[in-house]
Amino acid sequence: MTPAIKVPYVTLAEQLAPIQSAILEEVKSVLESGTFILGPKLKQFEEEFARICGVKHALGTDNGTSSLHLVWRVLKLEPGDEVITAPNSFIASASSAALLGCKPVFVDILPNLNIDPSKIEAAITPRTRGLVPVHLTGRPADMDAIMKIAARHNLFVLEDSAQAVGAEYHGRRVGGLGHAGAFSLHPLKNLFAIGDGGMVTTNDESLIRKIAQARNHGLYNREQCDYWSFNSRLDELQAAILLVCIKQLDHWTEQRRKHAFRYNEALKDVVSVPVEGPGEKCVYQTYVIQAEKRDLLQKFLQDSGITALIHYKTPIHLQPAAQYLGYTADAFPVCKEACESILSLPLFPTMKEEQQEYVITKIREFYGATK
Amino acid sequence: MQFANHEKILARWKELIPTTQFTLGPFVEEFERDFAAFIGAKYVIGTNTGTDALILALKALGIGAGDEIITVAATFFATSGAIVAVGAKPVFIDVDDRYQMDANLIEAAITSRTKAILPVHWAGAAPDMPRIVALAKKHGLKVVEDACMGPGGSVFGKHSGTHGDIGCYSMHPLKPLHVMGDGGMISTDDEKIYTWMKKYRNHGMVDRDHIEFWGVNMRLQPLQAIVAGEVLKTVKETVAARSRNVFKLDAGLAKLAPHAIVPSRPADYIETFSLYMIQFENRGKLLRHLEANGIEAKVHYPVPLHLQQAATSLGYKRGSLPKTEQQADRLISLPAHQYITDAQIEYMLDVIGKFYTN
Repeated sequence: MTPAIKVPYVTLAEQLAPIQSAILEEVKSVLESGTFILGPKLKQFEEEFARICGVKHALGTDNGTSSLHLVWRVLKLEPGDEVITAPNSFIASASSAALLGCKPVFVDILPNLNIDPSKIEAAITPRTRGLVPVHLTGRPADMDAIMKIAARHNLFVLEDSAQAVGAEYHGRRVGGLGHAGAFSLHPLKNLFAIGDGGMVTTNDESLIRKIAQARNHGLYNREQCDYWSFNSRLDELQAAILLVCIKQLDHWTEQRRKHAFRYNEALKDVVSVPVEGPGEKCVYQTYVIQAEKRDLLQKFLQDSGITALIHYKTPIHLQPAAQYLGYTADAFPVCKEACESILSLPLFPTMKEEQQEYVITKIREFYGATK
Repeated sequence: MQFANHEKILARWKELIPTTQFTLGPFVEEFERDFAAFIGAKYVIGTNTGTDALILALKALGIGAGDEIITVAATFFATSGAIVAVGAKPVFIDVDDRYQMDANLIEAAITSRTKAILPVHWAGAAPDMPRIVALAKKHGLKVVEDACMGPGGSVFGKHSGTHGDIGCYSMHPLKPLHVMGDGGMISTDDEKIYTWMKKYRNHGMVDRDHIEFWGVNMRLQPLQAIVAGEVLKTVKETVAARSRNVFKLDAGLAKLAPHAIVPSRPADYIETFSLYMIQFENRGKLLRHLEANGIEAKVHYPVPLHLQQAATSLGYKRGSLPKTEQQADRLISLPAHQYITDAQIEYMLDVIGKFYTN
């Protein structure tokens, strides 16, 4: 039997439809301007982005991974230096430092899926240089606790804000809470380009100047190269598209929050739902429940025409890429348990009430709960 | 008017948006197939930039800390940037009268640490690729071609970038094959290298849930793949048009010898003329004279790589690479692109001619 309603995981096309003509206008104007690299649209977008994050400086990069990597590069992290992060993130949180020969060090998470600050100090060694709290799913990490630890040990805090543009922690936006923030503008993010893109944010002017130089071959000007680097620029075309999308961001975020609260209310008695903690304003890049019999539930939903995904099934420390670091499957009990129970439900700004109702009904049906 | 195919590009962008295939996907794959056919390589992948293509190529060959790469200093900074990015050391050798790597100097630069030769198709001309490849074979070295300016060029009928183990290409807006922003390509005939590079370009992913090794994001953007696909159709025509302009400029400037020195143009080398560069006496004055007469000329680049601050730790000094330095002091890049008219060419020759006769 074919399901009555289909609920895809996301429907970017629906989200883009109302702004498609505005986007085409923008790309056309860039095309006709003939300025494609580090031009006025990029500058304008960088200013807009800094404004919405409440920081002094924002700089466009080619992707979120590059944003993280560039910060570590200009801070001159060296092989053997250590960076502490959460194990349940997208690999870039760790690989961005590992690619410089640094050692990613993982600590366990809280039940809310963000790094557990009480576990950080035990992982600090004389080689530790940085902390990478990840605002996973769009929920801000416990930044007060993290910044206190960083100050005590003189560590650089790079917020991995890839999933969290617009999220707030006690009234302040992520990306401006640590020493620098790294964002992704990948198509599945809350604010996205038609392709890859990233941002770095900071209030530190000397840092942003260094990153600007590092993203453009280490060039001081067209003729003078101060140090060897590479090309991590955000295209002018993408910046023009992002200027259209950024106008929609508040609306999109409101919709995401509305849908999230609706799920919370309707599902809280059958699964563990992501309730917001004190001072947290989450933006739900993913809406993640923790559920018993998760794999069976995912299959049941799939058979019902509903796509639910797992972010991420295998944590970073257990990937083949991290084998040399020597972590065991039981290294992080909270993370381990989460990996077995997390499920990301479909949640997107254009989600219709009947779609969400259908997902809710099916989940309740699976657990034999009455309506 | 740089881009004649705007309508087609806009139409294809419009087609792209509702598909939401914004990272890799069919639009990138389509261009990869077209480019592979165009250059005659078995495998190609799109990258974010030409620099990324070089980094990816060196990584794929296992080149890293302590390894030496023989290359040239008469090039864009990214050639060295990529070598240093993987932890290796650039070893610069001098160029010939065509501004290309002098193959005669390679053997003297080989040490026990040398892993690869990285010739640059500088300006879109080509070095003596058959000889370089033969020398590499003899010494068990790899060849990575910086063919960033090479799409559309060839040596003895073999496309630039397909002579060595891996070819790297840029599609920066000033090249005959260009995108509207940044983009790069990489080619090889080796399936193992290809498979590894594809994974490294996309975070080391085998699939969404499995990461085999630490990788990065170096993906070519579908928006740009669409532009490249349209522009590719015109590359041969563009290169032919530039060659016709160059033929006229060369003929006119050759008469000004020794004030102007025109390089030789061997018959079996098709150059892309991404840059049209001629050595001139009295360069500073001539540049001002050209500017005063409304001619936009440039210098690529007044300070070669080995004399940049970034190269301090490598220990070169003025005099290390005499020809590279002499050319850096004398070369001017003149406009020779496909939109230049015969009248503009006549005018340039006239302005330059008068500069030396007065």
